[in-house]
Amino acid sequence: MSKRNTAFYLMTIPAVLLFFAFHTFPAIQGVYYSLTNWNGFSPTYEFVGFKNYVNIFKDENVLNAYIFTFKYAVLTTILVNALSLIIALGLNAKIKFRNFFRAVYFLPNILSILIVGFIFNYIFGHVIPDVAEKMGIEFLKSNILGNENLAWIGIVIVAVWQSVAFNTILYLAGLQTIPSDLYEAASLDGATKWKEFWTITFPLIAPFFTINMVLAMKNNMNVFDHVVAMTGGGPGRATESIAVLIYQGGFTGGEFAYQSANAVIFLFIIVVLTFIQLKFLQKREMEM
Amino acid sequence: MKKLISLMLAALLPASLLAGCSSSESGKVKIEFFQNKPEAKSTFEKLAEKFEKENPTIDVVVSTPPDAETVLKTRIAKNDVPDVIGSGLNATFVELAKNGIFADFSNDPQLQNIQPAYVDMIKNLTGLKEVHGIPYSANANGVLYNKALFKELGLTVPKTWDEFIAVADKIKAAGKIPFYHTYKDSWTTLIPFNALASNLPGDQFFKDRESGKTTFRQAYREVAEKQLKLLEYGTKDNFGKGYSDGNAAFAKGESVMYLQGIWAIPEIKKANPNIEIGTFPFPASNDTAKNKLVSGVDTLLTLSAATQHKEESKKFIDFLLKPENVKFYIDEQKVFSSVKGVTQDDPSVSDLKESFQKGLLVDFADHYIPSAMKVDKIVQGFLQKKDMDEYLKTLDTEWNKVQERK
Repeated sequence: MSKRNTAFYLMTIPAVLLFFAFHTFPAIQGVYYSLTNWNGFSPTYEFVGFKNYVNIFKDENVLNAYIFTFKYAVLTTILVNALSLIIALGLNAKIKFRNFFRAVYFLPNILSILIVGFIFNYIFGHVIPDVAEKMGIEFLKSNILGNENLAWIGIVIVAVWQSVAFNTILYLAGLQTIPSDLYEAASLDGATKWKEFWTITFPLIAPFFTINMVLAMKNNMNVFDHVVAMTGGGPGRATESIAVLIYQGGFTGGEFAYQSANAVIFLFIIVVLTFIQLKFLQKREMEM
Repeated sequence: MKKLISLMLAALLPASLLAGCSSSESGKVKIEFFQNKPEAKSTFEKLAEKFEKENPTIDVVVSTPPDAETVLKTRIAKNDVPDVIGSGLNATFVELAKNGIFADFSNDPQLQNIQPAYVDMIKNLTGLKEVHGIPYSANANGVLYNKALFKELGLTVPKTWDEFIAVADKIKAAGKIPFYHTYKDSWTTLIPFNALASNLPGDQFFKDRESGKTTFRQAYREVAEKQLKLLEYGTKDNFGKGYSDGNAAFAKGESVMYLQGIWAIPEIKKANPNIEIGTFPFPASNDTAKNKLVSGVDTLLTLSAATQHKEESKKFIDFLLKPENVKFYIDEQKVFSSVKGVTQDDPSVSDLKESFQKGLLVDFADHYIPSAMKVDKIVQGFLQKKDMDEYLKTLDTEWNKVQERK
């Protein structure tokens, strides 16, 4: 083995081992536990076969969590991508204080989600109701996080506010790859800005659109911290995402094996979803 | 390649070595007292110091790790059980007791000095004949009230449900807020739930439910109705505010009463040191003899079944149970004693004394409900939708589902 190869192995193997030890191995263990009735701490447990899986399909709370998660993930993904594309276009234009604005728009990304969640908790709980009280806006007088029909929108707002920052950076990088002579040619041909966007800008950043959609969707499907910081899944089970359900049921509820089965199914769904999304969006990239 | 593998192994080795650390000292016997209340750390340390002075050959180490329940479980999994354990009477204790981790105290003479209600709570929750711990201190959940505002409005402490509602009506008529509900935090919905469920259907209900003699639909309608009634006397934003908002608001006098446990009193006093707080048992029914105080074991003391230092450890437990030491503990911690004859005289909770003296105590109902049911979420959801039939149906179906999954 050449010396160079040893160096490459030294670079990759530790990461592979760590990844296997802390990610793949626990995931396999999870599959194993999902076939038992282990509660998370007792010294003994028994094999129960696919009983946990059968019960998952009978559990309305699981269905409820999937409905919330999909509703949340689809809306958040669309909003994040639309907003971050618009912001990226603005930040890519020749405007004054461009670097300052770029820094400002990136700021939410460096704050921890839990801290953002607690800040917005205060804003929704005290600032907005107080302002609404003074201005006489009836429907905002109470905390929207405490309303089972509106709480999820509160979470969407915070998630969008926070994740727009990261996706904007990716779009900005994409926009800078477009050669400026294309725009010059377009303006010579008398194309409007609108036409320019749809025929030059958007097709040329297609790979960035794909990766942003896939990443945002996957992240939003796994939503956890926002919910824990703002509502804990409430009111009732109105904002209980799948990740929150698995965590709360598995650890505090003492149904480790049952929620492991839920996690295995969830993993499968995410893999399938990401695969479909990639296939579809990459095909679109080719066509454009 | 071989070199590479040995390198990897060398990197992994130290991690496995760390697990092997242990300590032993010569001359003195070292016992470990493991307890779960971070608030009580310094109090127990002071008591341990006093014990060491009386018993110079014994060295007591008090350990209070964060997230103590998880730490205890992992240590038991490693077969490293602490000698003396102070724990709440919770699901973890019950599970561990069933697995024979703790010593049996059934024949211990100390149990004679304990309020029988608390000893029964341990038996009921574990479902065992043996008693695997000695109740040490107790907490309570009731109605906190602002004494100054009560005087100003000419109100007296209500003894029955009707009087309770009459007091709330008077407060409302005077333009003030009777209760500051903090239902954004789902666990706070359990305070009135426990008071009503423990008193009206009672804890016997859960045994009957398990054997299929009754259902929530049959027994819980009154609980549901009264839960909804209390909602009428709240603020404009019952679901928008949480526990810490409630403590601050009650401290400022925004509401006259506050449905909480006595554990909130130190927090409220932090926000307003001058507030005069009183506490009375939640009057769930109109039969005063039936209105018991919801009170649970805050800390119980137990021994590892496998301890090497049984005699020394038992000596420490006996020392903690001496009336003067119990008194010292409850004065510092503002909790109640489960040892007979030791009373909590703090004026903020003195109204509860009668219930303790008469033994009119009942355990938290939610201790009997499997935690996988997430009853706090069910109650929170019900208070939003206000649909009693759906609520009772959900309680029954969730109960059945969790039983089936076992």
